[in-house]
Order: sequence, then structure tokens, then C-alpha cells
Amino acid sequence: MAATSKVMIKTVNLGKTVVTSEGNLTILRGIDIEIKQSESVAIVGASGSGKTTLLSLLAGLDTPTGGEIYLGGEEITAFDEEQRAMMRGKMVGFVFQTFQLLGSLTAIENVMLPAELKRDPQAESKGRELLKRVGLEHRMHHYPRQLSGGEQQRVAIARAFASSAEILFADEPTGNLDSATGGTIIDLIFELNREFGTTLVLVTHDLRLAERCDRAIQIASGELVADILECPMDARSGLSG
Amino acid sequence: MNPALALKLLWRDWRSGELTLLLASLIVAVSTVTTITLFVDRLQQALVRESASFLAADLVIASSGTISAEILQDATARGLQRAETLEFLSMVFAADRAQFASVKAVNTAYPLRGKLIVADEPFVQGRVSEGGPKVGEIWLESRLLPALGVQAGDMLEIGVANLKVGKVLIKEPDRGGGFNSVGPRVLMNMADVAGTDVVQPGSRLSYRYLFAGDRESLADFSVWVKPQLDEDARLFGVKDGTERIGSALARAERFLLLGGLLGVLLAGVAIALSAQRYSLRHYDHVAIMKTLGASPGNIDSLFLVIFVTVGLFSTLVGSVIGFGAQSLIASILAPFIPIELPSPGWRPIWLGLVTGMVCLLSFALPPLLKLRATEPARVIRRDLAPTNLNDRLTYGAALLGTIGLMWWYSQDLWLTGLLFSGGAVAVAVLGVVAYALLRSSRALGMQAGSAWRLALAGMQRRGQENTLQILVFGLAIMLLLILFLVRTALIDEWQAQIPADAPNHFALNIAPRDVEPIAAMLSANQINSQPLYPMIRGRISVVNGVPAKDYDDARERQQAQASEAQRDDGPRSNSGRNLTWSATLPAENEIVAGDWWPADYQGEAMVSLEEELANSNGLLVGDELEFTIQGRGLKARVASIRTVSWDNMQPNFYIIFSPGALVDFPSTFMTSFYLSRDQKLFLNDLIRAHPTMTVIEVDAIIEQIQTIISQVTLAIELVLVLIMVAGGMVLLASIQASMDERFQQHAILRTLGASQRLVMGSLVIEFCMLGLFAGVLATLGAEITVFALQTQVFNLSYAPNPLLWLMGPMIGALLIGTIGTVATRKVVRTSPTIVLRDLT
Repeated sequence: MAATSKVMIKTVNLGKTVVTSEGNLTILRGIDIEIKQSESVAIVGASGSGKTTLLSLLAGLDTPTGGEIYLGGEEITAFDEEQRAMMRGKMVGFVFQTFQLLGSLTAIENVMLPAELKRDPQAESKGRELLKRVGLEHRMHHYPRQLSGGEQQRVAIARAFASSAEILFADEPTGNLDSATGGTIIDLIFELNREFGTTLVLVTHDLRLAERCDRAIQIASGELVADILECPMDARSGLSG
Repeated sequence: MNPALALKLLWRDWRSGELTLLLASLIVAVSTVTTITLFVDRLQQALVRESASFLAADLVIASSGTISAEILQDATARGLQRAETLEFLSMVFAADRAQFASVKAVNTAYPLRGKLIVADEPFVQGRVSEGGPKVGEIWLESRLLPALGVQAGDMLEIGVANLKVGKVLIKEPDRGGGFNSVGPRVLMNMADVAGTDVVQPGSRLSYRYLFAGDRESLADFSVWVKPQLDEDARLFGVKDGTERIGSALARAERFLLLGGLLGVLLAGVAIALSAQRYSLRHYDHVAIMKTLGASPGNIDSLFLVIFVTVGLFSTLVGSVIGFGAQSLIASILAPFIPIELPSPGWRPIWLGLVTGMVCLLSFALPPLLKLRATEPARVIRRDLAPTNLNDRLTYGAALLGTIGLMWWYSQDLWLTGLLFSGGAVAVAVLGVVAYALLRSSRALGMQAGSAWRLALAGMQRRGQENTLQILVFGLAIMLLLILFLVRTALIDEWQAQIPADAPNHFALNIAPRDVEPIAAMLSANQINSQPLYPMIRGRISVVNGVPAKDYDDARERQQAQASEAQRDDGPRSNSGRNLTWSATLPAENEIVAGDWWPADYQGEAMVSLEEELANSNGLLVGDELEFTIQGRGLKARVASIRTVSWDNMQPNFYIIFSPGALVDFPSTFMTSFYLSRDQKLFLNDLIRAHPTMTVIEVDAIIEQIQTIISQVTLAIELVLVLIMVAGGMVLLASIQASMDERFQQHAILRTLGASQRLVMGSLVIEFCMLGLFAGVLATLGAEITVFALQTQVFNLSYAPNPLLWLMGPMIGALLIGTIGTVATRKVVRTSPTIVLRDLT
């Protein structure tokens, strides 16, 4: 990892508390992290530890109740929903455990959607290119329900890269897939991440997957308990060089 | 937002079937509204036109003299059609017999509305004739032929003219024009009147100037001509021509209007339900689009473009279907509707288009606006529902839309307010009752067999949704029950107004010596008749020491605030009237001020005045009136003011004296009786035996009233059927809205090993129970609303309907049970694997 790399994601004393019928419930508390450009970071932890909440806060999908979040140097905690939406469209791509494809759209239409939202005239050609890149050129006009789980996730990956995002957030991307398919999907994410120079933030409870990232941040009971900088994958991936 | 993207998404939604339900319910809703509006408009026009045949015109000026040529020229200039008639009484002479007859001379344009029915021989059904008698020809009413001993082709004398008997007059549209039409009818050509020499200065003549044309021109002409007319000329149209028809038509219009309003409301509910479902199914889409960078503003404009496009498309398609459907209904029903429907106008189509769009925006807007508030984090946590927008704002749109549409439709703020506040109270009260009913089923559920337990547990689990669904079902059934009850009450009231054996002949000028023999003759022929009333012609000449004419002017000045209509149309105090005396208050009269005299009263002369006569002339109880009767004066004090039921076809009087007051004045007597068509010849015997008496035949007008009432009844029943279709659609939309959840639950149950029979059984039970509860609510709501409508809007009396309490819940259970089970069969038939895979 280049020491001079730009900081893409930064949080200061980040916290999230929700009001329940039994009083206030703190989900996250005092999280301070920094993630640099092109870095790949795994957020790991047990179920209910707060890792998914952390991801949605970092991606601007949800708002914190305390602390600050900076994305690409801008403080997004001060943004309203309109500004956050603009920021997501410009900087962020997503891959979800449940794929989150629009059932009424075909594979190519799903991939074109982010570019179309930005009125990009190249939406279709980019979409075709990306679908070809994930190996689904023969499935372009199929609806999600006509695709297998692995194929649906590949469409979702193509869509994530279609918006030319600088940061890719992935929430348990292999959670709904068998281990062989999951492996293929992970390979694809890392390949594309390298190709596009994207910053990758990945939520997982799979330690083997976490090991492939540059870093792993461990969350337990809403607090950051470990920030493991020395991942064995660093040397092999050559990204830190 | 990119409109092209919105249209692309719309197209993709359409292709994948996401829009089918919303689009279908919108199209069905708009086409139902358009069908009803178009059909009702055509029927209304037809009924008004049919009623116009009572006048043989749309508008009439009646006068005892000719009116100025300027008025007639103005009517022509406005593009109105014109015709003229002249009525007078005359003797008609055959070779060896003579008969007193009511002669009517008509010009070639007569009649402007309705048809003349003629035949070649008397007492037959007859055929339609184009135009009246030719110059030199007269047409006679059936019973005149045997009375005069003539047949077609014979010559008759009227005055000094010799005219040939042409056809037999079976029916004329404007027969029964009041006391001028005394005696059997003779119809002749206007051009022959001069040759008879009958019309002389001082002759008692009745001119009628008939006008017909489009609504606007007629309305403008009416306004212009009113101040131009002499005092003795009277202007009247269809609605005020005959009070009886006027009130029947006004009530029918209100009913049709109410039907249309309820149709709009039902359509609105269907749209709201399907828009709600569309939105529910798009929360995930919106969440995904938000994660991809779409802002709330983008979402708003995206779905606005989609909804407006869907709205325009479905409103247009719906209007076209509505147009086709009403044409189809009209052509299918043509043999059963005895009137010709005029072609539909553009206004209802415009009304349908606007209604569709307003309905869509006001009913579909709340669920649409909720889409913008979808949390993007929903992509990770599916349980995140959209944060509630300000509900007062979103549902305000629906309320405003509803009130606006109701007002626009009815042009009646009172009716709108009544229906709307009634509806709001009904929703609130029925909501609470529905929830209580649901809770009460818990105890039952726990003790019952497994299909029951499944069904009732399902109802409990989805308590809020089911409360809403019961409410929607209940409201739909309630609206149908209301329409049905009001319709039944209206029709009963009309039919009771003119019973089949209502008197249809009036006998006047009966000399005191003829009273006994006539009563005996009527009873010997088993003819149902009313008592014989004494009758004296007279007028009020002085009121409280002031001449009646001046008193009238003074009163007008005092009551400058009184409406134009009241001053112009109210009966005048100083006109000649038929006076009678009675010891007892006549049947169907009701005292509204003062007291009726005791039955054995013998004191100073007192009078009882009819309410409208008293009100429009400022006469009060205690006023002293002086009457001029047969050239002599008679003073009497006003003892009471009473209402008179003019509809009952019995002898009715504006002024009734106390017993003994008129004893010094020679009087004649009058009565009324019923003659069937077969008994008509009895009139010839009666008049031959008592030639001084006068008989007025109102059987033709009664027959016409009964025809109109049966047509209005049919129209109302047709509209009821159309509204029921709209109601059925709401039920379907409501069931459809709960389909996704049912699919999921039953797929899980089936996966766990529940048999198809068990799942189906639980569905049947659930829908029947929902229907039963909805039926209870509907009955409760309908009783309350019908009470308010009948007493406040239709001015009918109200009676509770105990049978309804049995029928309502049963109909609810059967209707919802059947529709629900049929509509959800797919839930049971679809393989659980497919359902569960589609859900992930």
C-alpha cells in the first residue's frame, strides 16, 4: 500500500444508537477508521456485531447518531438525502448478499440502470461490455428469475462497476451461494477491483475471504476490537507495493 | 430526472406484468365511471325530452291572448323551433246531434315533442301520425264518434265552417292541459279557425306558444322573455309544467347523481388499493435505485411521469371502452326502453377524462408519495418500511380530490357534505367495530378444528390489514345496499303516489238536483268515486280593508327580498278560484297554522287557505278577507292555513269555507272517479243523462305519468347494476392487494406439509368470515345513511329494514367468500417452490 495514497474513507468517533421499546440500543460506538484509495478492507464480526450497520453508514445508506464520516475527503454526515444520493451515484457501487436486482428488468437493463440514472448516453455499450466481462454475454436479455444465484450475483457485480464508482461496498457477497460459486464470485470481485482501481469494503464473517483483503477490521458488540493491517494476501496481490 | 428513463421503466414494468393490475383497475374504473356518466346523461336527456312531450314542447307560453310578434321573432332568431295551439270550447254539430267539445287548433309544426296517435276507427291502439289535421279536416276523440253518430269521411259543423272528419284521435301528447280541456277533444287545423267565426272578442281562448331547442338557447330565451310577458301570460318548462312529473324527475336525477357519485368513490377506492399494491411492490426497486444514486426528487419525478402516463393511457382507453359499453347497453336495452335515447354529448366524455385523472392523482398520490421516503438501507435490512410522511398531507390529497369530485358532480354542497361527513363517520365507527369483531373471533378460533384455527389465526395475525379489508368490503357492500334501499323507497313512493285506481275523471258543474241521481248512477255501474263537494266560483277582493290588487303590490314592496320566482309563480290572491265548504278537514290536508273549526261550527264565516296561496300573498291567520261571489260580497276571517297534497288526484281546493258560510249562494257540485279504458263509453251515458255537467278526463295524463315513472324506475335499476359492477371491482382489487402475502404464507404452509384441502378450507373460512363482518358493518352503515338520505335529500319517510340485518351479513359472506375463493385459487394451485423462489 502506498503511504501517500489518498484517504477514501474516514470515520471519527462514529456511533449509532436506535430507540427501541426497551430504551436506547447502541449498535455502534466510537469507531475510528481510515481506508485508503485502492485498499481492500474486510469488516468481520459475529452476527449482530454491527458490521452491516457500519457498512450502511460508510456507504451513506443510513445516518449515524454520532461522529463524522468522510468519503473522498468530504464529510457526508452533514449531507441531506438528496446530496447523499448524488454522492452514492458518483462514488459508490454495491454488491449485496441478496443480489438486489430489479425483477422487472433484464440482466442488461439492470446493469444499465446506474448509467441511465446519470443520463449517460453510453449506458448500453458499457453495460454490454461489463456483462461480457463477467461472462454473461449469452444471458443479457434474461430476467433475474431466469438466472441462477451465481449468475444473478455476476449481474450485480457488473452493475456495481457500471457506475464507475471509486468505492465498492459488498455485503456478504457469497452469503447466498455455495462455496464453489462463492469462490468464483470472490475471484471476480477482486479481479475487477484490481482492474478498476476501486477501494473495496467487504462485510463478511468468512475469515478465509477476509484473508484475501489488505486489511480486516473486527467489530464486536458495536466496537472496533482489532484492525489487522498485515494481511497475508498483501504480498501476493502486490497491491501494497 | 430523465423522462426517457421513466418511460423505459414504465415499459419494462408493463412488460413484466407489474403494471397490469393498476392499469386494469384504472381502465375498469374509468370505463365504469364513463359508462355510468354517459348512460345517465343520455337517459336524463331522454327522460326530460319524454317529459317534454307532456307539453308537446320544451318550453310553453300560455296566454289568453296573442303575444307580441317580437317574442316569436326572437325565438326564431335563437334557432328555436316553434308551434302554436289555440283551445276553445264549442258545440260540434252532426246531421241530427250536437256535442259540447274542447276544440284545439294546431299549426303544421305541432307537436314539437311527443307524438300524435291516430286511428281510422274509435277505441283502438292507433299509430303515430306525422303532423296534425290538414286544412278542412278535423280529428275526433274516440267517444265523440258514437256520441255524434259519425264516422271518418262524414261532415261536421263548428261555428259556420263545414269540416270533414279525418282520423280518430287516440292520444295527443299535451292532453290534460287543465280546466281548459273540458269535454272530448276535437283537433283542427289553425288555418280553419278564422272560417268558423267562433273566435270573437270576449271569447274564452287559451293560446299556447310552444318552443323546442337546445338547453342553452332555451335557458337564454326564458330569461329574456320573462319580463316581456303580460300579466296573464305564463311561461313554464318541463320541470315546472307538471308538479308531479317535476318532483319525480328531480328525485330520479338526484338518485342517478348519487349513483354516479358512489361509482366515482368505488373507482377511487379501487385505484387507491391497486396503487398501494404497486407502491408496496416498488419499495425495493426504489431502495435499489437510491443506492445507485437516485435522489427523492428523482424518485418523485420518475413515478409522476409513470403515473401520469399510465393515467392518460388508461383514462383514454377507459373512456373509449366506456363509450362503447354504454352504446352496447343502450342497444341491448333498446327494446326494453320505450324511449329513444339521444346521442351522447361530449360533456360526459370530458367529465370521464377529468374524473379519471383526478381520481388517479388524489387516490394514487398518497402511496406514490410514500415511495420517495423509502430508506436506501432497505437493500440491507428489508424490514425497513418507508418512514411515514406527513399523513395529513398525503391523505389530504385523497380527501380534497374526493370532496372536489363529489361537489363537481353534484353541484350540491349540501349533498356533498352529507355524503362526505356520513362517510367519514362511517369509516371511523366501522373501523373500530371491524377491529372489535376481529378480536372477538379469537376465542372461537382457539377451540375450533384446524382449518378454522388456521383461518382465524391468519385473520388475527394480519389484524390491521384485515380491519382495512373488512372496512373496504363493508363500504362497498354498504354503498350497494344504500343504492338498493333508496331505489326501493323511491319506486314504492312513486307507485304509491298514483295508485292504479286513482281517480282519472273529474265531474264539475253538477246541479244540486243532479247530485243524488249521479251518485246513484256511479254506484249502479260500480264506479269507484269520491264524495261530491259543493263548488262556487269566486275571488278575494279585499284583504284587511285594502283592495286585494293593492294589497298584493304593497306586500311585494314589503317583501322585496322574496325571490323572483315566488312573486311570479305563486298563485295570486285576486284570481278567480273554486270555493267550497266543509265541516271536516279533507283527507291528506294538514294544518300548518291556526286551527280547523269544530265539526258542528255554525258561527261567523271562516276560511282555511292553502299554504302556498297564503305565503305568496302574505296572508296570515286572523286576516279579514272579503270575497266577491256571483257579484255579491262575503266577509270571512282566516282560521287556518293548510298544506294540500296536489298529487292525489282528488278534488282539492285553495280556499275552504266553514259550514253554512256559503249557504246563501247557489252552488254546483264536483266529484272525481275512476274509469278503466273499457268503461269509457259510460261517459256518453252519464253526459247524455246530465247534459249540464262537465267532465274533465285526466286518464291520459295519468297514463303518461305512470309511463314516465316506469321508465325512470328502469333507468335507476340499470344504474344500480353498473354500480354493482364497480363495487365488484373494488372487492377484486382489495383481494388482489392481499395476494402477495397470502402466496407467501400458504407456500410456507404447503412446504410444511399442509394439504391443498386444508389451505383451501382456511381461505374459504377466512373470506366468509371477512364477508360476514363486512356485511354486519355494511348493514349498520347503510341503515344510518339511508335514514339521513331519505329524510334530508329525497324527502321520503324512513322505515327500518329488519330483513336487511339478516340479508346484509349473508350477502357479505356469500359474495366475499365466493369472489375471494375464486380469486385466490391460484394461491393453492401454484407450486410452493415457484412462490418461494419468486419471493427471494
